[in-house]
Amino acid sequence: MARGADGGDGASVWQHVFLLPEYLKDDSKKMKSGLVFVKLANPCSGEGTIYLFNMCLPQLFEIKVFKEKNHSWFINESVQSGGLLHFATPVDPLFLLLHYLIKADKESFQGKFQPLDQVVMDDMFPDCILLLKLPELEKLLQHVTEEKEVDKKKYYKYSKEKTLKWLGKKVNQTMAALKTNKVNVSARVQSTAFFSGGQVSSDKDEDYVRYAHGLISDYIPKQLSDDLSKYLKLPEPPASVRNPPSKKAKLSDEPVMAKEDYTKFNSKDFKTVKKNSKMTAAQKALAKVDKSGMKSIDSFFGTKHVKKK
Amino acid sequence: MENSYEETIDKRRVHLRPDTLRDPAPASLHLLPCEVPVNRPTPVGRFFTPAIRMGRDGLEASFRGRSLRGEEVVVPPGFVGYVVTEEKAEVLMGKQDDHERQEQELLEPPEALERDCDRFMGATASFSSFTVWGLESIPGPDAKLRGALSWPSLAAAIHAQVPED
Repeated sequence: MARGADGGDGASVWQHVFLLPEYLKDDSKKMKSGLVFVKLANPCSGEGTIYLFNMCLPQLFEIKVFKEKNHSWFINESVQSGGLLHFATPVDPLFLLLHYLIKADKESFQGKFQPLDQVVMDDMFPDCILLLKLPELEKLLQHVTEEKEVDKKKYYKYSKEKTLKWLGKKVNQTMAALKTNKVNVSARVQSTAFFSGGQVSSDKDEDYVRYAHGLISDYIPKQLSDDLSKYLKLPEPPASVRNPPSKKAKLSDEPVMAKEDYTKFNSKDFKTVKKNSKMTAAQKALAKVDKSGMKSIDSFFGTKHVKKK
Repeated sequence: MENSYEETIDKRRVHLRPDTLRDPAPASLHLLPCEVPVNRPTPVGRFFTPAIRMGRDGLEASFRGRSLRGEEVVVPPGFVGYVVTEEKAEVLMGKQDDHERQEQELLEPPEALERDCDRFMGATASFSSFTVWGLESIPGPDAKLRGALSWPSLAAAIHAQVPED
C-alpha cells in the first residue's frame, strides 16, 4: 500500500489541505484529544462516509472535498498532487438519525415505538453510537418522530408527516441563505458555476425552492426527497433541467467515501470511481445537460464500501 | 485473512490532535492548474516564487514553460486553513502484528476514546489565504473554487436548527 505516487521513498508525505472552523482551535486549548474521524452511514446513500467528531462539545462535522481535475498544491517547499481542498462544516445530526429511524420503521419494527439506543445500531458502522452522545437529541427528535414515555424512558417512532414539515423549514432557511449569498439558481445557468459572480439572473421563488430542495436532498434518502418535492408542490421540471446543480458542481458530490480509511484521500482509484459508482438522480440529470464546468464530479475516497448487506 | 485485515483497518479510528491546531507555523500555498503526480519536497522557493510578478490584472508566474495568472484567495470567515499529515505510525504503535492488534480490538470497547491501534494526524502548518493560479488567465470570480468557498455559509443554513412553530 504505497502512500505516495512516487513510490514511498520515505520522503513522500501526504499533506491534506483542510479548512476547519476557527473555534476548534480555541477548544483545542482545553482538550488533549477528542477530534476523531469516524465512518458513519451517509443519510442519503447509506454508504460509509467519513465524518469528524468532536468528542468534547460534542459536535459532528461533515467533510466535503473540492476537487478540480488537473490541479496540485505547492505547500511551502513541497508539492502535493491532487489539489484537493477539504471542508469540515457542522452537520445537523438529525439527518443521520433519520436514516436509522426510517430504517427501523421500514424493517420488522414497523409501527413500533422504540428507545433510541435500539434504533441507532449498526454492525457495519459501530461508531454510530457516538450519535447518541450529541446534545439535545430529545429536542431534535421531536421534529421527526412521535414519542411515548414509559417509566421515564422515551420511545420513538418515525413520523413522515412531521419529517416533511421539518424538511420544509430546512428548505426555507436554505432558500434564504441562497438569496443572501446571491447564488444563481436559475435553471438556465445551472450547469455553470455554482456561484457565478453575484449575478442573480432569476428571482423566481420556484427556482430557489428547487435549488434548496436539491441541497437538502443530499442528506435524505431518495424516496423522502421525492416526497419532499411533492410536499413543496414543486412542478415536474422539464427533463433537461431536472435537478438543481447544487454544490455538486464544486464539491465532490458523494460525501466523503472511504473504502479503507480516510487518509487515502487521494487514492489512485480516482479516475475509475466515477464509472463504478452509482450516479445519484442529480448526477444523472447533470450528465444529460451541459457538461462544461462539471468536471469536478469525482468521488475521492476510492471505490465505495464493498460489503453491503 | 485478507478480509479480516480490511475489517481491522475499518475499525481503526483516525484522530486529529487538537493541540496541533493551536499555533502551527504559517504556510505558503499555491493551487496550480496542472497535475504534478508526486508528493515530495521540491524547491518552490528557488524556481517558482522568485519569478512571481505583479502584472496588470493580477499575479504572473510561469511553470513548466506555461504562463500562469494568479490571485490571492482568503479562506471563508470563521475558518482556518490547515495542512494535515499523519504522524509516523511506528512511533505510536510499536511493533504489533495484525493478530495482536485484533486481540486488542476485542478487549477495547468501541466507546473507548482512544485505542492503541488508532492512528493520529496533526496539523503541521496553517494558512488564512492562498494563491490560486489559472493557465494563461486569471481564475476570476467565476472560478469554481469561488463557489466552493461559499459552501460553509450555505452549509450553515442547511444544518441550522429550524425555528419552532
